[in-house]
Amino acid sequence: MSLRLVRIDDRLIHGQVVAGWLRALGARRIVIVDDATARDEFLRDVLTLAAPSDVPVEVLNIADGAIRCIELAASPEPVFVLARSPRTVLGLRQAGVPIEVVDLGGMGSGPGRKRLHKTISISPDELAELRELERLGTRVEIQIVADDRPIPFRSLDSTH
Amino acid sequence: MRSFRIVIAGHGAFPAALLASTEMICGPLADIVAAGIEPTDTPDRYAEALRAAIGRDGAPDHVPAQSDAAGSGASLPAEAGRTARSSTRKGRVLVLCDLLGGTPFNVASAISRRSPRIVCISGVNLAMAVEAALADGDLDDALVERLLATGRDAIVETERHRAQRAS
Repeated sequence: MSLRLVRIDDRLIHGQVVAGWLRALGARRIVIVDDATARDEFLRDVLTLAAPSDVPVEVLNIADGAIRCIELAASPEPVFVLARSPRTVLGLRQAGVPIEVVDLGGMGSGPGRKRLHKTISISPDELAELRELERLGTRVEIQIVADDRPIPFRSLDSTH
Repeated sequence: MRSFRIVIAGHGAFPAALLASTEMICGPLADIVAAGIEPTDTPDRYAEALRAAIGRDGAPDHVPAQSDAAGSGASLPAEAGRTARSSTRKGRVLVLCDLLGGTPFNVASAISRRSPRIVCISGVNLAMAVEAALADGDLDDALVERLLATGRDAIVETERHRAQRAS
């Protein structure tokens, strides 16, 4: 099991993610799973600018990402997986990717979104998707930066 | 006079503070806008704010040439005049971002791709911001090169810098 961290962050790669988490995880590879970004060569290039030059970044759609994640999960290489939304992670899980824990790291606020914890907000659809992930045996936690203590989603979801 | 507008894009209070510090050196800069991303902003919401700061197609070209002259801000009539003079350059916008790979830069880059009028630079510091604010004329390749050099040249360590200058 070498998917060191599966993180949901609507900003995907950004300074905080790259600097802090790669060090904390000892991950040497980033896999971004996002259908829209995978389709767009320019966005792929811009996002990968942020990663250290010795850390390869792969940008894949859900279908290809699932195959790649299953492969990487079986290898000893530590990998950091990033997705923009719970739907993507649920897609990976349903395609058979072994995901023990998913981290909610960046989910911004907006119309129809309810604050779950600090800067983490979710929509009703996302709430249902996260519950489904937990039902499938994936633990959902909130941990915005590596130094934070992870907070179980379940402890926050009880009020909903 | 500068023929383009400037937007400073970055994390939290940094853009507004950099603008305030640039004004401390250059005087009031009514045509420079700061756009800071907050931890609760989604990239989509920040993109909206940044697009608003840049203006549609980066252009103030919808400003009527005469009618606005009386009521609006001091820079506007002059800018409209320059816009009319060099129509290929009208409404160009320089976006100065704080951090390579940060969300403000990622979002600004995505916006700039769709509009050749926008130039997006990352790693802005006060030296670069002042150089840009005081720039004369068009946002052309020569200016972009000069801004990059100004920003880089402003990064020194005293002793190393002294030794280099002496040799």
